[in-house]
Amino acid sequence: MMIKEVHMPKLSPKSDDYFFGKWVKQPGDTVKTGDVLFEVETDKVISQVESQEDGVLTAQKVATGDTTKVGDLVATIETA
Amino acid sequence: MSTKSETSAPVKPNWLKVTYDQKKVDQMNDLLSGLKLNTVCAEANCPNLGECFGSGSASFIILGPNCTRACRFCDVPHGHPHEVDLLEPLRVAEATKKLGLSHVVVTSVDRDDLPDLGADQFVKTINAIKELNPNTTIEVLTPDFQGHEDCLDKVIAAGPDVFNHNMETVRSITPKVRHRATYDTSLHVLKYVKEHAPKSMYVKTGIMLGLGETDPEVYQLMDDLRAIDVDFLTIGQYVQPGPKNFTLKEWVPMERYQRYYKEAMKRGFKFVASSPLVRSSYKAKEELEAVENQ
Repeated sequence: MMIKEVHMPKLSPKSDDYFFGKWVKQPGDTVKTGDVLFEVETDKVISQVESQEDGVLTAQKVATGDTTKVGDLVATIETA
Repeated sequence: MSTKSETSAPVKPNWLKVTYDQKKVDQMNDLLSGLKLNTVCAEANCPNLGECFGSGSASFIILGPNCTRACRFCDVPHGHPHEVDLLEPLRVAEATKKLGLSHVVVTSVDRDDLPDLGADQFVKTINAIKELNPNTTIEVLTPDFQGHEDCLDKVIAAGPDVFNHNMETVRSITPKVRHRATYDTSLHVLKYVKEHAPKSMYVKTGIMLGLGETDPEVYQLMDDLRAIDVDFLTIGQYVQPGPKNFTLKEWVPMERYQRYYKEAMKRGFKFVASSPLVRSSYKAKEELEAVENQ
């Protein structure tokens, strides 16, 4: 078992502050690489961010409406 | 820096949801920054970046990153132009090879400061791409070169497969969103290229919707383009880059994209792409293939 941290990726070449839209996966949900974890709003789009890990989402560290910065801890995933 | 209050204008529609594979986008960014190349994808903060970078596709913007014009719809930085990078054409050709692109799109910022307005760098880039990638088809998306025919002659002679120059919008809105560019100059550019290029070279243009244009204005634009025999038309949704840019008037409903597609095809364009996320170079390769296979 290993806990992997999910950090906010750089989604817009021109901005590092994004608005957290909503969670697609909830704590306890099984996630696979490529599954959409959450949605974030940048200037031009709503980005659906995919998981880079297989495992179980253990914690959400941000909530809808939060402003998040690139690199912020967003979630943790327990991998096998 | 952007904040919600600045960008919250009309709520973004569902079709503006795009997926994003960080690893693939990072790989692409590493390759591009390693070659010191700019893409219009990143410079214009394109909504399709995740999809295109994820699939190993990109459109290069040469002579940048700063543009000498300040068009109000555009996200490319306006500022003091940099010195022309003589090795840039070669690096674009190398990146085309590394990415294995079978179709490459090359655009540029406006360079009203240069005696040749940037035409020579287009020529060098086309030549370098051909040298290193003889089987790759080339599409250029050029500025208006202030309508100077000698600049157009040079680019035509270099022999791209597709010559694109964007009208951007209908006549009445042009002066509100474009800087130092006019509707008639852009029409002249397209007309001149069509008249002087070999028949095998396709002439293409594109417009944005959501700036306040009306149906009759869009149809008039289509008629103007067909009167000079423009081959391809792209129609996509304007997405306001930031609070200082031209205010978005509306998210145009899909029904209008579909109607414009039919109206444009009826008028005789060889290919029309009409959908909210369509951009000038979005899936340009598929577009050329579709026409070549007709």
